[in-house]
Amino acid sequence: MKNAYLENYDKTTHRIGRAVSALTLILLVGAPFVIGSYLGALPDLGAVARGFLSVGLIWTISSVVEFLVYTPMLGAGGGYLAFITGNLINMKIPCAMNAREIAGTKSGTPENEIISTLSIAASSLTTIVILAAGVLLLVPLQPILQSQTLQPAFANVVPALFGAMGYQYFRKNIRLACVPLITMSILFILVPALISQTSIMIIPSGALTIALAYVIYRRQHG
Amino acid sequence: MIVQLNSSTLYLICGGIIAFVALVCVVFMVRAFRAGIAIGMDRAKLVRALTSSVTFSILPSVGILLGVIALSGSLGTPWPWLRLSVIGALHYETQVAQAAAEQVGLSSLNVQEMTPAAFSTIALLMSICIMWGMILSFFFNKAYLKKLQGKQAAPIAESTQDTATSDGAAGETGKKEKGPGFGDSAMTAMFIGLVSAYIGSYIGSFVSGEEFLTFRGDLTPIIVAAVSALVMAGFTYLSEKKHMVWLESFSIAGSMLVGMLAAIFLR
Repeated sequence: MKNAYLENYDKTTHRIGRAVSALTLILLVGAPFVIGSYLGALPDLGAVARGFLSVGLIWTISSVVEFLVYTPMLGAGGGYLAFITGNLINMKIPCAMNAREIAGTKSGTPENEIISTLSIAASSLTTIVILAAGVLLLVPLQPILQSQTLQPAFANVVPALFGAMGYQYFRKNIRLACVPLITMSILFILVPALISQTSIMIIPSGALTIALAYVIYRRQHG
Repeated sequence: MIVQLNSSTLYLICGGIIAFVALVCVVFMVRAFRAGIAIGMDRAKLVRALTSSVTFSILPSVGILLGVIALSGSLGTPWPWLRLSVIGALHYETQVAQAAAEQVGLSSLNVQEMTPAAFSTIALLMSICIMWGMILSFFFNKAYLKKLQGKQAAPIAESTQDTATSDGAAGETGKKEKGPGFGDSAMTAMFIGLVSAYIGSYIGSFVSGEEFLTFRGDLTPIIVAAVSALVMAGFTYLSEKKHMVWLESFSIAGSMLVGMLAAIFLR
């Protein structure tokens, strides 16, 4: 009974997920043409192609990597939503991991799929509401948010996020965490040019940690 | 030009797409909540997952709002509002908008040189460069997840099939007896790798960021991360040892807030 329900839920999730992904894509790519015709000048496709070759290819590769790495973390519903709403590394992934930690669900289970979907949907709605409120109140808010005093706080959202999440994850897996943390620190100290490529460096760091986790897992499970 | 870019028509186009995405989120949220109840999950647990995700997202969202403000000077408000609400990413938008501006012949991303043709071209390039996650999800999400589940949960699938006709609780017990697969450890490990890469970059930036091995780089991110971690330790102590479980929903947001405040006092 439960299995049949979940199977049906999963099937519908994929159906809705695919439909809304396609529709959002059409809307997003169509919008510049609609705006262009309103402004009186359609996009210059030659410049788009040149621009894509110069910056787009890097983002294409990083999108493929993001899809491969984060889809298993997010599950079906969470995956479709996260790739529609964006801001994965700085918000959606840590948010889903936090919800999973609080709910105590394990990856690959239906419970985790549900928690992850709830988390990504709630997170996306929060961003949409805050951005909409911010845009509505842009004039009175602008001087406050852009004040020199608050700048350092907003420049450090990501370190604050990873400090808190780091504690949560490192304390339970201290042996596992030491190796990537030390390795990555040494790597960035010796090759400071890589600091601007941190989002790509997640891949070797993650691969190293997964390999270590596998060794530990094999040892514990014979 | 900026008046045109901030016109009500553009607000309507961009706002309409954002409203559609918000509706999609509501649909997914309601479905997931109902499914959770239907398979016997604790309602309180579902509500806590929701509230913790909302509180968690507030501060980063304000950070994203700053991105909208930063871009609104050159691209008007509606387009950056759309970009950062839908598949946008804070680190992505400015970089691509800048590169796109150069491709259309502007010296940099600025409103003085902006033309309708330049704007629509920049907007299209911003949309195209980041659409691949959605395209890959469309084509491969289902097959990829199926493949992964097949690999990691073969014994679990068997145990669930065995108990398919009995009640859900028996299925759960069956899973627990087999122990969690490596998939779960792999996800935790990937996340530890992700956090390590970022914290490592702060350390590297401090030690060699200004000049190789001179320890003259910015120390702020390290201190912010440390303060945030310390506050998180305090929250964990209160929720685990003093049984103030309700604090869990606010612990990340609270820790981040204190960490970010520390950055202000460091300057």
